Amino acid sequence: MTFDWSVVLDNLPLLLQGALVTVALTVATMALAIPGGLLLAALRLSPVAVVRAAATAFVEFFRATPLILQLYWTFYVLPVFLDVRLSAWTTALVGLTCNISAFNSETFRAGITSLRQGQWNAGLALGMSRPQVFFKIVLPQAVMRVLPALASTWVSLFKDTSLVSVIAVADLSYVALRLRAETYRILEVLTAMAALYWLMGYPQAKLVDWIHRRFKVVE
Amino acid sequence: MAFDFSPILGAWPFLAKALWITLLVSLLSTAFGLLLGVLVAMGRTYGPGLLDAVLGFYVDSMRAIPVLVVLIWGYFAFPLLVGRSVDAVTAAVIALGLHLAAYAAETIRAGLTSVRPGQMRAALAIGMSRPQAIRTVVLPQALIRMLPALGSLLVIAIKDSAIASVVAVPELMRQSQILAGKTYRPFEIYTAAMLVYFCLCYPVARGVDAVYRRLAPLGSS
Repeated sequence: MTFDWSVVLDNLPLLLQGALVTVALTVATMALAIPGGLLLAALRLSPVAVVRAAATAFVEFFRATPLILQLYWTFYVLPVFLDVRLSAWTTALVGLTCNISAFNSETFRAGITSLRQGQWNAGLALGMSRPQVFFKIVLPQAVMRVLPALASTWVSLFKDTSLVSVIAVADLSYVALRLRAETYRILEVLTAMAALYWLMGYPQAKLVDWIHRRFKVVE
Repeated sequence: MAFDFSPILGAWPFLAKALWITLLVSLLSTAFGLLLGVLVAMGRTYGPGLLDAVLGFYVDSMRAIPVLVVLIWGYFAFPLLVGRSVDAVTAAVIALGLHLAAYAAETIRAGLTSVRPGQMRAALAIGMSRPQAIRTVVLPQALIRMLPALGSLLVIAIKDSAIASVVAVPELMRQSQILAGKTYRPFEIYTAAMLVYFCLCYPVARGVDAVYRRLAPLGSS
């Protein structure tokens, strides 16, 4: 079998445009899912039992069902429910944000609850004010604990954005799958897609390893 | 709007078969991923430096490429390269397994290195061979210690098996799509599918935690 790589070069701008959508979707989702995760984590620590239960149900539900199904669900069910027609991009953003917020909330919750009350007490006993204790003692440690997990979630999110191709968002995988169907240069196009994901994802995976080493919590 | 769940009841043997395929794909890919993960972890921990580098490259590449891409490449592009077709279920099990193995390997490697080196020395001192010491002393403890993480891999495998719908594996996600298209009842069908996945994944996650609480002392040293 002969390979014709010119199809990849000819369509490189299209593929790169898809890659840009992938990156944009990752950044936008994370930007929304960090406040979303904080909100969910705060709700799960709320004194009102109903609020706690609702937030817990949300988190467990999104963590225990496939993202691809969540995207379908958002695509077909949400418009009927809310009686609005969302664009595919917005649908993808909503679906991914709900999913990643659920994962982030667990990260934040672990970060908050892992700091013992004794640290607050010790800081206050030394004569620090509450804001001082929070900013000088609690927050730096919480960031150290949360950042590695957030970084891992970031990479999974980057990879998971590929699933939005099933609802026709023109990300890298969607563009590649369409090119495959149009050009019939299946091996070349799909290999280029995999290579582009690899080129973007490999440094991220390495960066995550570095963050894990750099922010390792030693007690 | 009015809900009508009769399409689901009417098609339940169809969906039950789909659920069975989902279970089959997730269990087989987990088994394959764990087996490969143990081998990769042992190769990286006990093998020569070059092997560590090669396997490390494999692991990091799998952490960089989406499972959808691995699956699509394996199903559509790989057969062109080798000149023979692969059936969808096999492709899905292998692709999901290869992807999962990278995560399993990292987890198991962390477990292996968490067992203190003194145990290896003690095992060698009482006359065990190195492979014997790894197999009977270090690996069992590593696996027990890493049980919660390995359990979450099973949950991930169940969730990822839904991605196999993209290459038309007749599993729950795919068959739900077909049914939703036929009956024009996407709301009921996707909601039901969602609940079924939840009922699969949530008990597994909790069950593994429960088993771990029983077994944890066996892994402590």
